[in-house]
Amino acid sequence: MAWYHAVRTAFDAIVRRAREERQMDDEMRFHLEMEARRLMTENRMSEEEARLAAARSFGGVERYKDAVRDERGTSWLEDMVQDARFGFRTLRRKPGFTIIASLTLALGIGASTTLFGVVKAVLLTPLPYAKPEGIAVLWSAWKGFDQTWLSFDEYEGWKAGIPAFANVGLFSDGAVNLTQNGESERLRAGFIDRDILPILGVEPELGRGFTAEEDTPNGPSVILLGHDVWRRRFGGDPSVVGRAIEVNGRSRVVVGVMPAGFRLPLDFGASGPTLVWVPLGATAEQNGAIPGPAFQSGGGNHGFYAVARLRPGATVLQANRQLSDRVAQLRRDGIYPEEQQFRAFAVGVEDQVTGRLRPVLLVVFAAVGFVLLIACANVAGLLLVHGEQRRREMALRVALGAGGQRLTRQLLTETVVLTGLGAGLGVALAAAGVWLVRNTAPAALPRVAETRLDPLVLGFALAVGVLAALVAGLLPAFQARGVAPSMELRDGGRTATSGPGRLRWRQTLVAIEVALAVVLVIGAGLMIRSVANLFAIDAGIRPEGVLTLRLSTPAAWYPDSVRVSAFHEELRRRVSALPGVQAVGLVRILPLASEMGDWGLQVEGYTPPPNQGTPGDWQVVTPGYFEAMGLRLVQGRFFDDRDRMDAPPAMIINRRFAELYLAGRAPLGARVRIGGPDQNAPQYTIVGVVDNVRHNGLTREVKAQFYAPQPQFATNPGNTSRNMTLVVRASSDPQRLVAPVRAAIRGLDPRLPISEVRTMNEVVDQAIAAPRFAMELLGLFGVLALVLSAIGIFGIVAQVVASRTQEFGIRAALGATPRNLLMLSLGSGVRQAMAGLIVGVAAAVVLTRTMTTMLHGVTPTDPVTFSMVVALTALVAVGASLVPARRAARTDVAKVMAG
Amino acid sequence: MTESGSPSRSEVLQGTLEMLTLKALTLQPMHGWGISIRLRQMSGDVFDVNQGSLYPALQRMLRRGLIRAYYADSENNRKARYYEITREGHRYLEAQMAEWEHSSRAVNRVLRFAPQGA
Repeated sequence: MAWYHAVRTAFDAIVRRAREERQMDDEMRFHLEMEARRLMTENRMSEEEARLAAARSFGGVERYKDAVRDERGTSWLEDMVQDARFGFRTLRRKPGFTIIASLTLALGIGASTTLFGVVKAVLLTPLPYAKPEGIAVLWSAWKGFDQTWLSFDEYEGWKAGIPAFANVGLFSDGAVNLTQNGESERLRAGFIDRDILPILGVEPELGRGFTAEEDTPNGPSVILLGHDVWRRRFGGDPSVVGRAIEVNGRSRVVVGVMPAGFRLPLDFGASGPTLVWVPLGATAEQNGAIPGPAFQSGGGNHGFYAVARLRPGATVLQANRQLSDRVAQLRRDGIYPEEQQFRAFAVGVEDQVTGRLRPVLLVVFAAVGFVLLIACANVAGLLLVHGEQRRREMALRVALGAGGQRLTRQLLTETVVLTGLGAGLGVALAAAGVWLVRNTAPAALPRVAETRLDPLVLGFALAVGVLAALVAGLLPAFQARGVAPSMELRDGGRTATSGPGRLRWRQTLVAIEVALAVVLVIGAGLMIRSVANLFAIDAGIRPEGVLTLRLSTPAAWYPDSVRVSAFHEELRRRVSALPGVQAVGLVRILPLASEMGDWGLQVEGYTPPPNQGTPGDWQVVTPGYFEAMGLRLVQGRFFDDRDRMDAPPAMIINRRFAELYLAGRAPLGARVRIGGPDQNAPQYTIVGVVDNVRHNGLTREVKAQFYAPQPQFATNPGNTSRNMTLVVRASSDPQRLVAPVRAAIRGLDPRLPISEVRTMNEVVDQAIAAPRFAMELLGLFGVLALVLSAIGIFGIVAQVVASRTQEFGIRAALGATPRNLLMLSLGSGVRQAMAGLIVGVAAAVVLTRTMTTMLHGVTPTDPVTFSMVVALTALVAVGASLVPARRAARTDVAKVMAG
Repeated sequence: MTESGSPSRSEVLQGTLEMLTLKALTLQPMHGWGISIRLRQMSGDVFDVNQGSLYPALQRMLRRGLIRAYYADSENNRKARYYEITREGHRYLEAQMAEWEHSSRAVNRVLRFAPQGA
């Protein structure tokens, strides 16, 4: 019960403070009046006498009022409210100081809160799976392929033979055409086996997953819809489950709808999420594998992704140990040739999704922490100056009886009010920042677009605000405790000059700021150089002015390769007739967009080293592709209309191919068979050599690659490329061609869906999204850090100049030139900057090492970057000092001496 | 009202003041001045403390829930703040009185044994 009364009286004291005060006042006045009246009647005193006597016996109204206030048990709260009010008043009197200080804090808090939001979305929010720590993505690898698909034999082998795996599921990705009410749409689709959903621990929100019967090559035609597709195309109608819809020109029954946000483990990258899912229905026979745990030599066709659920208690590390033991056994058994260096490994799904971005994010997050510290140091500096100017006020209050404790607390409260303003503004900035991140984050950065300003992120902002208040406010508060009224007030009317000790604190702060800024700017500089290097890489193509879009020609409407080729030919004819089109062609997979697989080749006159193959990455194109994409011809010719289906098979190779397999020979006219050691494999004749294209990534090794004309490759070795990307070179802005090209396709076949409409520049940009993201953010923070440091330096020089005005006046009177005075005051700022510069460079040497994996073509201690940053920082320091220093140079002797 | 510096004007210990106030309130709810009059009557003017010191004590007892306050018309038709003892207050008073009896008996015993006027 007692606590209730305590809370209530405290509540009354705060909320009804004014009323409580009035009541107390009334009550005591009532007492005094009653007492006086009693004295007048009982003791026959005069009114005047009675009033005095009553007051005497009461014993000091104000004293007891204070005692009552104390008894409300809320004096600390009241003090705080009073301090806060006082703080607000003080801050309102100094709008300039308040605006600069709170804006500085807002920048620090806003930037760090935004970044925390990103970190939370990417690294702290669990993936949408049950117990994601127990899920691993499986990969195969061999020489030249660090991370590639599994074969069916490997899937069966790991599922049965790796004790750490409770279950393994297979999937692959592609696209399907969904036709609804006569409107076709190309959707990214996942082909998943029946175990995928149980392994991920996700259930459809409606209906069910796939049955074993459905997951067979000729099983019932079924499909699972994604939440978004279900809402968008079917209006969220639950009765769609059980209905047949048209997919790829055939009918499939919807068996379920997956929950919003469901993703396959490899859906977080640039190619975007899969939106619908159909059964994989894969068998060993179809995939050149031996049914059961036995392995085909070489493992069979590699073309699947796999995901495993670990047994409870098993770790990815254990799984990897078991996998490498098993692979070693297979290599000993001769299943995989030793030279192929076959490996298999598992990656925890969280590592898989965000592993690449984690170091980038952590570096950027650390950088934003630096910005925050600089902001705090700056505000601490401002508060110190502010404190300087208030020393007399403080001294007076100490003399009037305010305790040191109380003063400290009052100053801290002011800082809290200031950081409160800063945090409020900071949250607003963070909201803007989060909006920006959500709307501009490149798709290649996994989960970044999921950034939200949720309670945890707001809590972070609050915590940062409190921390900032402590960091920025403690130093000035402790300083104020040293106030000795006798010293300060004895000075008479003149403002005391800042003592050397206090100035030293401020100078230290500025030096720290500069040091932090130097580290940041060096980090930003390294990223800029690195990204510039990436841009400078010759990818072997000319992406400017190129429009790309994906098209597919489903077997339902284009049953054979003759029809597919005829369609391609007509499409090229129509598109090239459009105004503004310079060249047009089609290609199997776009460079820099996804990785390419390889074929085993036989190059006439070339014998590979024992037990090594002659792999060549395969690219299928139509005439016009080379011109449209801007490849460089080294010798021979590009494909043209000669290279028809019935013409002699022609091949174009890249320079790497010629260097590897045709060293010292004339490549033109050389003959290549596509396919293993089979003597009947189709034979092609090399008609041209093109310069290397960095297909798999700007910084990846270039492999031997060959190009075959689509119609010829369709018959030899027999693989109709139904999914092709149209590449159009425009004479001006490629975006302007989007509508006419779409119209041309529609005019040819209105059923065909179009997807992934992108300019080639966008494709290239996505390839360097992560380092670019880091560069942009580090660059932004670097600029912020420099600006804040400049403000700090400016402040300190201004203070020095102001406090030494008299001295300068005397010096001027004694013959110092304005130039002398300028140099003198410049020195005070530049000295701090130099100290900070030295510390910053030393710290950067240590810290930039963490960026090694993010850098390309530049070492973490790149001397060019370091010296440029040193020069830049020095320039900023001198610049920031110059403005206030010039005031010193103009010191008016007469005015100063008269004052 | 005794004006002299008589020894009877002792500063009453907080606890005692509270106890006496609660005791006074057991008769009827009263306003502050009324309590101060009653205190003087009850103690035969011995406990004539500074009247103001009553108010912090009242505030403290309010906070602990020993009394509660309400507004009512007073003798001269003015609104005044009245205090009344709560159940909690009754319990507290009984406990305090028992304690007081106990200790005052002890003190008395000591004083009786002490040599008078030594």
